[in-house]
Amino acid sequence: MTATVSSASDTQWRDQFRRWLGEVFDEPASVRGTAVLRIVLGPCVIWHLRPFLADALDGITYHDRFQQPWWPWYPNAPEGLYVALLWIGVAAAVLMTVGWWSRIATGSAFAVVAYNLFLSQTHFHHNRAFLVILLAGVALCDNGRALSLDALRRPPPDDRALVWPIWLLRFEAAAVYFASGFSKLIDPDWVGGRVLHDRSVRYQSEVRDALGDTLADPVLEVVTARAFHWVLSPAAVATELFIAFGLWFRRTRLVAVWVAVAFHVGIEVTSHVQVFSVIAIGALALWAVPSTRDRTLVTPSRWVVWLDWMARFDITVAPGASWCMVDRDGTVLEGREARQFVRTRLPATFLFSRFWRYR
Amino acid sequence: MVVAQLALVANGYRDPHNYFAFQPFNESSTYAVELVRVLDDGQRVAVPNGRWEGYDWNELIDWGPLRSPWRQRHAFSGVDAVVDFLDHALDWMADNTPGDTETRYWEATVTYYRNARGPHVTVIRSHDREVGDP
Repeated sequence: MTATVSSASDTQWRDQFRRWLGEVFDEPASVRGTAVLRIVLGPCVIWHLRPFLADALDGITYHDRFQQPWWPWYPNAPEGLYVALLWIGVAAAVLMTVGWWSRIATGSAFAVVAYNLFLSQTHFHHNRAFLVILLAGVALCDNGRALSLDALRRPPPDDRALVWPIWLLRFEAAAVYFASGFSKLIDPDWVGGRVLHDRSVRYQSEVRDALGDTLADPVLEVVTARAFHWVLSPAAVATELFIAFGLWFRRTRLVAVWVAVAFHVGIEVTSHVQVFSVIAIGALALWAVPSTRDRTLVTPSRWVVWLDWMARFDITVAPGASWCMVDRDGTVLEGREARQFVRTRLPATFLFSRFWRYR
Repeated sequence: MVVAQLALVANGYRDPHNYFAFQPFNESSTYAVELVRVLDDGQRVAVPNGRWEGYDWNELIDWGPLRSPWRQRHAFSGVDAVVDFLDHALDWMADNTPGDTETRYWEATVTYYRNARGPHVTVIRSHDREVGDP
């Protein structure tokens, strides 16, 4: 009996795994998530290249300062070509954002950012590495099929394409949270609060400068207390690990996305991490189910059409009608319930919605 | 790519820079450097504020994490990463200061506090260079 149950379970697992492999490698699905990410990455590429360009305008390039090559064979561009490459990166980023020659533009932006990163180890930052990875993944995907001038000029039949790059990027994004959280978890100085406490004490003058004495005094009293970091540090580690795993499961995904946004906003407020916060929040679009307009919505409000960037709904705007939404599984929500559900699925309203009720 | 990423994450526990291993804010360490030039006759000459013979450390190195290292600085990406970069920076400086005809090699005494524990001291030096007329 036990053997029969075990064998049935094995078969079920095998079937599920085969189905998943089919979803990943064979079945086209919506690439709208990568299109949203492309739009986010475009300005981030310019933001990332800005200091290099500012130096170049002053006549300074990496040739003029300490550099540490990654590999002796890596080609060094002469100064003029290097500056031209930076500008090509900017042009590619603009094209990415508006979605003109989307895939080529994303590939070009990736090539420039990656080339620049690998010119010198002094160019390395974790946020830049993550930017390179995201650009590579988005370039691998046919990301111009939605939210692009390409799609306006030559409308594709739908926004579907092969989505294995999305799965790859999901793995990379989760790996970033996991690697960061796990390395801190096994470091007693980190998880025990010593690292964050020392940083808080050392940078308290910056808090005072930013907030002024009146506000800074009570804030500093809390954040420089050793006991505060006995709680904060393990909480930060748990947050990263929760995001790393929570994003994979349907029941925890929305909570993980909400926690991730709050986490990145918190980091950005307390530390300057260049483009990291923005690209990490943008990468959360990859976790949307890759199917679009598979819920029907009747609404009197036109704003839903403007805010439904992920195309979660097949929308009919009917002035004077009451809200009515039919979910993928046929569940019908009406009135206030429908409105609240819709808010949980729109990026602009998600943070302030009752997302925990509609997972 | 998945295997490569996992390998890089694992490599981060060995590599002082933890490249592509995503371990941000890994330490809260500080360091300060006492920089000296060692001349051909063995004489040790201090380099106050990183300036000597018309050269300026900050202008030459021009990189945030190693700026003004004679002051107490936060160790970007950890002490091990900073010491490794300093080691390379000394070599780079030895190769890129042709107007300095006296210095045989550079030596940096690095005093650091790893996560507020210390002080610890380590000494690094550049490779030898030819001295004489430029």
